[in-house]
Amino acid sequence: MEAIRNTLDFSDFPKTDLGVALAVLVFLFCFPLFPHSAFAMATMIQFFIFSLYGMGWNTIGGYGGQVDLGKAQYVGIGAYTTMVCLLRWDIPFWVSMPVGACLSICWSFIIGYPLFKLKGHYFAIATIATSLVLKDLFEVWKFVGAARGLGILPYKYHPPDYWRLIFKEDIYYYYIIFAFFIVGLLYMNWFRKSRLGYQLRSIKDNEEVARSLGINVHWAKIKTYAIATAFVSIVGSFHAVYIKNIEPEDTMSLDISILIALMAMLGGAGSLWGPVIGAGVLIPLKSYLKEWLGASAGLLGIDLIIYGLIIMIISAFEPRGLWGIVEKYRRRRRK
Amino acid sequence: MALLEVHNLVKAFGGLNANDDVSFVIEKGELLGLIGPNGAGKTTCFNCIAGMFPPTSGRIVFDGEDVTGLPAHEMARRGLARTFQVYTAGGDLTVGENVLVGCFMHTRSRSSARSKADGILEQMGLKEFRNQLVSELPVAAQKRVTMATALGTDPKLLLLDEVAAGLNPSEIEATMAGIRRINAEHGVTVMLIEHVMELVMNISHRVIVLDYGRKIAEGCPKDIVRDPQVIKAYLGERYVREHATEFGGSAIP
Amino acid sequence: MDLLFASIVSGVLIGMVLALVALGLTIIFGVMDIVNFAHGEFLMVGMYTGLLTAQATGMDPLFTLPVAAAVGFALGIICYAGFIKFLLRGPMISQLLGTFGLMLVLRNLALLFFGSEDRALHHGLLVGKSFDVGMGIILSATKLATAVLAVLSFGAVWLLMNRTRIGKALTATALNRQGARYMGIPTERMNMLAWGIGGATVTIAGALIVNFWSVTPYVGLIFTMIAFTVVALGGFGSVPGAFFAGLVVGLIMEIPGFWDFIQLFFGIDWMADVPMISLKYTWIYVSYFVIMLISPRGLFGWKQ
Repeated sequence: MEAIRNTLDFSDFPKTDLGVALAVLVFLFCFPLFPHSAFAMATMIQFFIFSLYGMGWNTIGGYGGQVDLGKAQYVGIGAYTTMVCLLRWDIPFWVSMPVGACLSICWSFIIGYPLFKLKGHYFAIATIATSLVLKDLFEVWKFVGAARGLGILPYKYHPPDYWRLIFKEDIYYYYIIFAFFIVGLLYMNWFRKSRLGYQLRSIKDNEEVARSLGINVHWAKIKTYAIATAFVSIVGSFHAVYIKNIEPEDTMSLDISILIALMAMLGGAGSLWGPVIGAGVLIPLKSYLKEWLGASAGLLGIDLIIYGLIIMIISAFEPRGLWGIVEKYRRRRRK
Repeated sequence: MALLEVHNLVKAFGGLNANDDVSFVIEKGELLGLIGPNGAGKTTCFNCIAGMFPPTSGRIVFDGEDVTGLPAHEMARRGLARTFQVYTAGGDLTVGENVLVGCFMHTRSRSSARSKADGILEQMGLKEFRNQLVSELPVAAQKRVTMATALGTDPKLLLLDEVAAGLNPSEIEATMAGIRRINAEHGVTVMLIEHVMELVMNISHRVIVLDYGRKIAEGCPKDIVRDPQVIKAYLGERYVREHATEFGGSAIP
Repeated sequence: MDLLFASIVSGVLIGMVLALVALGLTIIFGVMDIVNFAHGEFLMVGMYTGLLTAQATGMDPLFTLPVAAAVGFALGIICYAGFIKFLLRGPMISQLLGTFGLMLVLRNLALLFFGSEDRALHHGLLVGKSFDVGMGIILSATKLATAVLAVLSFGAVWLLMNRTRIGKALTATALNRQGARYMGIPTERMNMLAWGIGGATVTIAGALIVNFWSVTPYVGLIFTMIAFTVVALGGFGSVPGAFFAGLVVGLIMEIPGFWDFIQLFFGIDWMADVPMISLKYTWIYVSYFVIMLISPRGLFGWKQ
């Protein structure tokens, strides 16, 4: 089937790119087999998580050009669905995760329809507003533990539990999220070559022209928003069983939404590798800065100052992100 | 049956009637030119038909169906395509990708869209530019790209918006040949707005003239060119009066 | 009934201050189409400035406004010349994220210098005093004074924008950048001025707010969100819009008060255990969404 061929076909990338990608994948696959610290392992898992968040965001934000700063609400829906399903009704991950995705997608259609009637900055702020509303509601909703959140007590279950995704060692989580990561990449490869992918890029380029080519702009945006939502929700579910403790401030805050957008933007919005590169740079940076500088006596907050400065520098001088630099260099070479 | 019928089209912006009771008909296979001095309402009429905004009153019938007020993407799906005058794109799409988007309208499959796009690129002489950004191209090629993109949607009616603006004589020749080919060989009905008389008068089967939002003349090019109303519209009443002797019956090039 | 009036009055008073907070944001947007995520951090700087000046000099906090204004003006110009100027060349997403980075930097610099404890004012002409205006309304003197000063500051800026040459040049640049350039208006300098004025107004607001709201390095975010909501509601770029939207948002913040009133008035007990007061800000976001659907350009918006 053509769809499968499209998913697996990476041939439009130069050989060097594919070579590097393959090397990186091999490294990622083998990483847990080398000696490593627990901290490094945790950072790698976060890398995968945020790559996937970034990939999801990239569909509507990168290819579609719609600045969505409210993705965190779907992390929350995914995470809480899985958590509540497990704690209340002992429903395993592989069931609760799709349920969470469905709930997220429903919500995304409900708010997406009015949301995409807005444009530009009005739209961006509306996305923030909806996400914060949901977060505030979760903070007072007793059913989900309000501000204190919910937690899994691992000893109640018998790890390794593949059904509920409860493990004692991180390595299980590592390979599972790695598998998700591969699936995510393949999906994005399909997406960027699909009809919807091209429609979005046309929309981003010029909405009027897109309409004149028969594209129902409003509907295309809503569909894509739902896809981004599904990505984020699925990974949110994973996040819940991995971290085992969730609360609104951690999972649904504005900071998370911005971080997600940052992954794609820093790495290169609108490109396949962008979010991965972005996450690959930002997540280890953030983690290690915090580790080395964050807790030092009297130097409170320096890690975030440096982090903020890096964001400022890239935004100001290379808004197309790191991948944008590569492309610019290549284009110049081609001339 | 006519492909496009416009009945008593009125489009008002604030207190001003940009289009005032305009009616005309385009037959299948025709090549219709729409001319008139600046501000005559050509672009407004064009945009109304294309679905950019609904008319204030009047009816538009396309291929037997009342399409008055339908939005642009619905018009495109019914077989009406248009070009855009100023290419305001951010430059993110290459020539090939642009044409590809148009081709996706009738299919989900990338390979069929791709082959269709390849065909169009070949026809329009754009194959060599396929991987370049549209903004990097010379003006004449950019115009061809907008036409190629519109053609991807397999239109029954193609609206061309000033495709000759800014071209030199040989490029205009090439454009004329291209439009004739699209019309004659592929059976696409064409309506064009133009200021470059050389192009529109030589190519059109029929011409419609607008002035101050009203239709003031309609006919074949050689009659239009002699029409006193048209001359007045372009040169102004006073000029015509002052040069009355020169205008007695002679053709204006 | 008293509850209703008290809520309304309270809402109006706070609304005027919010209008002032949002004013700088909308001016900056009007002139150069950029939305500043660090806006609340500027406010925070104003709050600290007001607090520390008052504590250091023993002056009444209400007299620290000029100092705050100067600091805000300088900060605005420095941020523009050193950073924002470069950000303007990029797409909206990188602008938003760039100012987010600025927010992180400012917030954590404050954390570094001032530590994370709450700080509040404890002295001053009006702190702790209040008037009883009848109908059960007790006006806190500081809130009243700050509201009055906010309105005065708003008025001053409005006069500046509409009656002085420089202000008119700024307005012209906002309305039509290209046209302004043709008229010989130095748009680059206008940008800088917009940031200066924007910065000054919000730091003044901060110095006013610190009279009844304690400050920590984290206080910026919620005010950023409120300012965004006010500006979007009033219409990006619109000065009168910011004023009316400020009032509206101020009233919305009093919804818990209205809610209590309705509950008492009708004797109902619905959702009594839901702490409505924690949803104070939620209502602002919801209202934003609802109002945007009705009028996608805000109340007075002329810019997209």
